[in-house]
Amino acid sequence: MNEHPNILFINTDQHSWDAISAYGNPYLNTPNIDLLHQNGTSFTKSYCTDPVCAAARSSWATGLYTSETGVPFNGGQLHTDIPDIGQILRNNGYRAFHCGKWHVPGRNVRDSFEVLYYGNQQIGAGGAAYYDSASTHAVADFLTKYDSNEPFYLQIGYIDPHDVCEYLHNHEEKHIPNPLEQGILTEDDLPPLPENFNYDERETVLHRVCRRIDGALIHDRILQAVKNWDEFHWRYFKWNYYRFIEKVDAEIGRVLSILKQTPFCENTVIIFSADHGEACGSHQLFQKFALYEEEIRVPFIISCLGDGFQIKKNKLDDTHFVSGVDLFPTICDYASIDIPEICQGMSLRPLVEGKDKPWREYAYIESNYWGRSIVTDDYKYITEYKPRNIEDFLPPGPDSERLGLVQLFDRHDDPWETANLVDSPEHQEAINSCRDKLFQQESRLNKQEIVHQNPMRTITNWGNRLREYWTHGK
Amino acid sequence: MNDSIQSLHWSFNYNHGAQKPFYAEEFLKLLHEIQINTQNDVFNDEQPEYIKQVYEILPNFWKGYSRTNEALAIGNVVIERKHENSHNWYYNVHYQNTSSGENIRFNFRCRDDVYRTLLDSWQVDVQNKSGDRYSKMELNGNLISDTEIQLYINDFQIAAGTVDNSSPLTCNWALYDVIPSILSDKRQLDFSVEIALLDDLEHLRQKCNLGYLDSIREPLPLDGYFLYGEGLLPSYWWVDTNKTVVIVSTVFETLVLKEITRGVS
Repeated sequence: MNEHPNILFINTDQHSWDAISAYGNPYLNTPNIDLLHQNGTSFTKSYCTDPVCAAARSSWATGLYTSETGVPFNGGQLHTDIPDIGQILRNNGYRAFHCGKWHVPGRNVRDSFEVLYYGNQQIGAGGAAYYDSASTHAVADFLTKYDSNEPFYLQIGYIDPHDVCEYLHNHEEKHIPNPLEQGILTEDDLPPLPENFNYDERETVLHRVCRRIDGALIHDRILQAVKNWDEFHWRYFKWNYYRFIEKVDAEIGRVLSILKQTPFCENTVIIFSADHGEACGSHQLFQKFALYEEEIRVPFIISCLGDGFQIKKNKLDDTHFVSGVDLFPTICDYASIDIPEICQGMSLRPLVEGKDKPWREYAYIESNYWGRSIVTDDYKYITEYKPRNIEDFLPPGPDSERLGLVQLFDRHDDPWETANLVDSPEHQEAINSCRDKLFQQESRLNKQEIVHQNPMRTITNWGNRLREYWTHGK
Repeated sequence: MNDSIQSLHWSFNYNHGAQKPFYAEEFLKLLHEIQINTQNDVFNDEQPEYIKQVYEILPNFWKGYSRTNEALAIGNVVIERKHENSHNWYYNVHYQNTSSGENIRFNFRCRDDVYRTLLDSWQVDVQNKSGDRYSKMELNGNLISDTEIQLYINDFQIAAGTVDNSSPLTCNWALYDVIPSILSDKRQLDFSVEIALLDDLEHLRQKCNLGYLDSIREPLPLDGYFLYGEGLLPSYWWVDTNKTVVIVSTVFETLVLKEITRGVS
């Protein structure tokens, strides 16, 4: 391998870790992502930094957590002084290309990358039906014509399976019969209800206000619609989700089949991941924004279709906790670029090469500005900060005085996260230990005050609703 | 108009979100003003030698997506086919989408059978109008021994899959003829047909199912059929009494017939 290989980062949107056939899911068929796994190393303990598009993508672009980037939710704005991966690569001898979804507000993708395709009306949150196929066409055109001697970095942002959000929006204002009533599927065609369809209602206030109560802050109209769903609607939702994934898998397959025919095949490292997952009925939730496994655990594969890299193939790494902040330093490492000191992530390259390296003992995830989670081998810890009475717009934590409610799940006995152990006396030590890890991680963050008016308005409005719930319980 | 809006079938009722109230008005206007052109030398009981259909593409998007133009339609599809001889149909499809910026021409041949079985070779020419580095792409394809699909993208050869022999292979743009011919009068819920699709002449989708969905009287007398399969989102196809597909709806868009011409080529 030369010191400046080509790097191809393929990402999907809203793609849960287990929605890949190579990992044993019998309800969908993803031969092309499977091919990436067969030719590389998959990290099974891979977590996004924040289960929503813009926030997670701001971490990909910078190697920072979302309370550092200025994008702690979809309406955030990336702080202007933070360099992104496109800028870093271009300053170090690479041609950096972008194609498809970007969704890092506050940073014009065209300022940091050469753009192959970004849609006629600019690609926002969704639109896979049009943009994914066009993105593949753009990449096909690029790979078959690239003749520069300079190494390239190419990131392809596929939108699917995010368009499952459109499927959900379609239920907001009309009743759609379940598939058995429609007569198009039988019960045997449908995946079963998730094991954790029923859930422990002792959730954080933040989660209740954002996702559960009437008038929820996020997608309340879908929430009202799914209250009228029967079991088959939920199962059909998952069935549809898998079809969206199969669609994007076919697009990925086209890119891989072209790459194989080009001179770049041996010298291109391929990274595959997703910005966040999809609840798909687990805990009776839909979409993302929550800190349960289905929403935060994502695929992460490092692969090469040839033998040009020392990458362990067909390997499942179930040892190391991987985070979205690791993408940036991994790319730097492969490109032989010094990793900026402010970067929170660590390069995964030594891991896929089978080398020992000191590694983190837990994953750290943020959500909806005030939500926090620590995932260890033994426990999942979810908590929240209470909003300040007078907001200073500095993302919260570490702050023991403002911690709100806690959820603790035993990852061995309760992998589906259905029994909150917060009131269990024998688990108080585990709760304390996780809280210490949370504060330890947060003390390492370089948080900046949110200064853009739109996210400030969101924080103010959401904070008001949260305070109302804390005060009045509604 | 309001009663008509209320009566829209769930499979194509997208009168909500950003489209309110324009979606239903535009949809029904298109449906009630379908332009039917019949050339002089073609009679109702004759098989036309040439058919051209124009469909408007209406967005089913949630209101979060911006549309900078005032028109609801975000593009159109023109499907032309002519009978080349007693055995084949030649298709020329022009797809224009102002949202993606892609302008695509599909050219292919099909056997003159009920499945419009895909024949020999085809071409896809894509122009991208969105202004970025990607401006065009050429895709050529051919069938090897009726089952193996070979594609060439900008002259790079790639394998695109092998068709399971048990299912006839057709193209999604030929379904506008396939569905009326094999499903008309098949109004049984338990009736379905399995086909293989070469989606946009690029992606092979095996084991796709076509079947009967429903029949409606308003806004027009129509029979509805569904299509689903691996890698495909369910789509709903509505056929009028003249065996013409007038509505095709998926989760993201609805195609509504605007114009049909039958005649000689």
